[in-house]
Amino acid sequence: MPIFKPDIETMGREELLELQNERLQIVVNQAYSNVDFYRRKFDEVGLNPDDLKSLEDLKRIPFTTRKDLMENYPYGMFAVPLRDVVRLQFPLGLYGNPIVIGYTREDLKIWRELVARIMVGVGLTEHDIIQVAFNYGLFLGAVRFNQSAELIGAAVVPTSIASAEVQVRIMQDFRSTALASTPSFALHIIEAMGKKGIDPRTLSLKIGLFGAESWPEGVRQAIEENLRIKAYDIYGVMELVEPGVAGECVARAGLHIFEDHFLPEVIDPQTGQVLDSGQEGELVITTLTTSAYPLLRYRTSDVTSLHTERCSCGRTMARMDRVFKRTDEMISVRGINVFPEKIQEVLATIEGIGPSYSMDVAEKSGMNDRLKVRAEAREDILEGKEERKIVLQEVVQLALRRALGLRVEVELTKRA
Amino acid sequence: MLKIRNIDAFFGNIQVLRRVSLHVGAGEIVSLIGANGAGKTTLLNVISGLHPTRNGSKIFMDVETRGWKPEKIVARGLIQVPETDKVFNPLTVMENLEVGAYSRRRAGTKLPQEIEAIFQLFPILRERKDQLAGTLSGGERQMLALGKALMGRPKLLMLDEPSLGLAPTIVAEIFRIIQSLNGRGTTILLVEQNAREALRISHRAYVLDTGRIILAGTGGELLSNDEVKRAFLGKDYRGKWER
Repeated sequence: MPIFKPDIETMGREELLELQNERLQIVVNQAYSNVDFYRRKFDEVGLNPDDLKSLEDLKRIPFTTRKDLMENYPYGMFAVPLRDVVRLQFPLGLYGNPIVIGYTREDLKIWRELVARIMVGVGLTEHDIIQVAFNYGLFLGAVRFNQSAELIGAAVVPTSIASAEVQVRIMQDFRSTALASTPSFALHIIEAMGKKGIDPRTLSLKIGLFGAESWPEGVRQAIEENLRIKAYDIYGVMELVEPGVAGECVARAGLHIFEDHFLPEVIDPQTGQVLDSGQEGELVITTLTTSAYPLLRYRTSDVTSLHTERCSCGRTMARMDRVFKRTDEMISVRGINVFPEKIQEVLATIEGIGPSYSMDVAEKSGMNDRLKVRAEAREDILEGKEERKIVLQEVVQLALRRALGLRVEVELTKRA
Repeated sequence: MLKIRNIDAFFGNIQVLRRVSLHVGAGEIVSLIGANGAGKTTLLNVISGLHPTRNGSKIFMDVETRGWKPEKIVARGLIQVPETDKVFNPLTVMENLEVGAYSRRRAGTKLPQEIEAIFQLFPILRERKDQLAGTLSGGERQMLALGKALMGRPKLLMLDEPSLGLAPTIVAEIFRIIQSLNGRGTTILLVEQNAREALRISHRAYVLDTGRIILAGTGGELLSNDEVKRAFLGKDYRGKWER
């Protein structure tokens, strides 16, 4: 089975743990001496970085949360001077204060390699033509496919948000062999093909890489049957790299986490206790090689479990189960992350609307397709002129669209 | 081949190494770079048993060597070429090479052949074989030091600043020799001030700063690392962490 970096991806577990330990000590040295936030956190709990002697000691390091990243916006979490940073990324869809993630040249180089590992792991080669139908504007990781494909010599067709019809046309004309998109967009393409009566056997597609939202096995089956491809799950964390933290291999026995760069733990989200492998809990990640934006024990809010036995593909890197649950309220609608807190914040800015609201997601094949927000409105608005109501409804809709990057249906309701 | 875990080292009450961990794989050239006083030489001395360490572990060829006497470590194939006093000045070149084989004195009597092999590697030493080491030039002394170390049949060769004080052409020659030794199967741990050259020939490297490892990576990665450039490669060094 194809492996991009066999010496690393199949190294003995013991050797891997030694490497992680060495790298953990280095990242802690860097974080402690260069990031005030970490120094403060360590000092608060009376932890001296020199006390961290083994991976066992990892659990003495306090967790880092999304709130910490927001509070230290913009550059408080950076461990290198700004002039070493070559990219600043600003994930959309976050509530409250935004966050900004910096990457040095080396960070980007590593990231590029990790996505290449995923590509090679599912059988992509220089002979492939990869059609990338992620939204390049909203999904910051989309551009990563270009660079990683170039690394393995494959060709990229960044079709981005072209309509399903255009996507299919390009698949036919260019003979694309792989599709990278959100699973919901893949379903949308299938629908368009159905309407036009296009037989998937006339396409050259073999492989699909899907991510940025959770997708049940039923959806996988539907995609595989209707596009006649093998569909693989990829995983990332927008505060680190997305995609590129983990990916399925051809064995499809979970997603291999790139443990030479990310140290995974699974914890009980309530108590913070570290759980044994196989037990389900919140994924916590410590970056081992990130220069610009090192994260120590970052709580991802994603629920999964870890498995460390060697995979039948030969890789020794731990596997995580596919993520279907979150510990927070975030939902994903057509691949776009929506934090309910953000909706609340938007409603609060509009006179006469909110603060209470309810959300409704319309499901299609087990995936969130449309978002409807029922916002409470003041009585005089509801009972006033119809035009005023419609205008206000549009104002809310526009504000939500701007804040979430997603079209939202809005209904104004009576206050409870 | 060598696995260092959580090594601390002190001069009196002053801690000069803080839980240093690193590894050197068989066949690698690994270099250790860092400013003066970062603890590089102390780390080599700890590894070779010259400097005591209170804790941590240093596993050489699968055996824990903490607490071992230097001669026992040398006999196992870990040989250090120190920064200074690397040859015996009052002895001839030939005698120095013979002394180099001291740790293997019971190994047999193939010395003349082995010395011949060293002469092939360093032809200049053959010309100087009866000369006292103290009369050699800097470059020749460094070659003799390498030759003497090779007589001990090192599995891991630790070189402390082999380019120090040498003319640029000789420096290039020394680095070429180090690479060729590595090509013949000798694993090398190299301490260097000349970071650029060291990183260029290294498979991997570590950066030591005030007793702690603060960076690691392949030679190429560190050569292009901005922090390394500022601190060691002479690119507008203005204090490492200015923002």
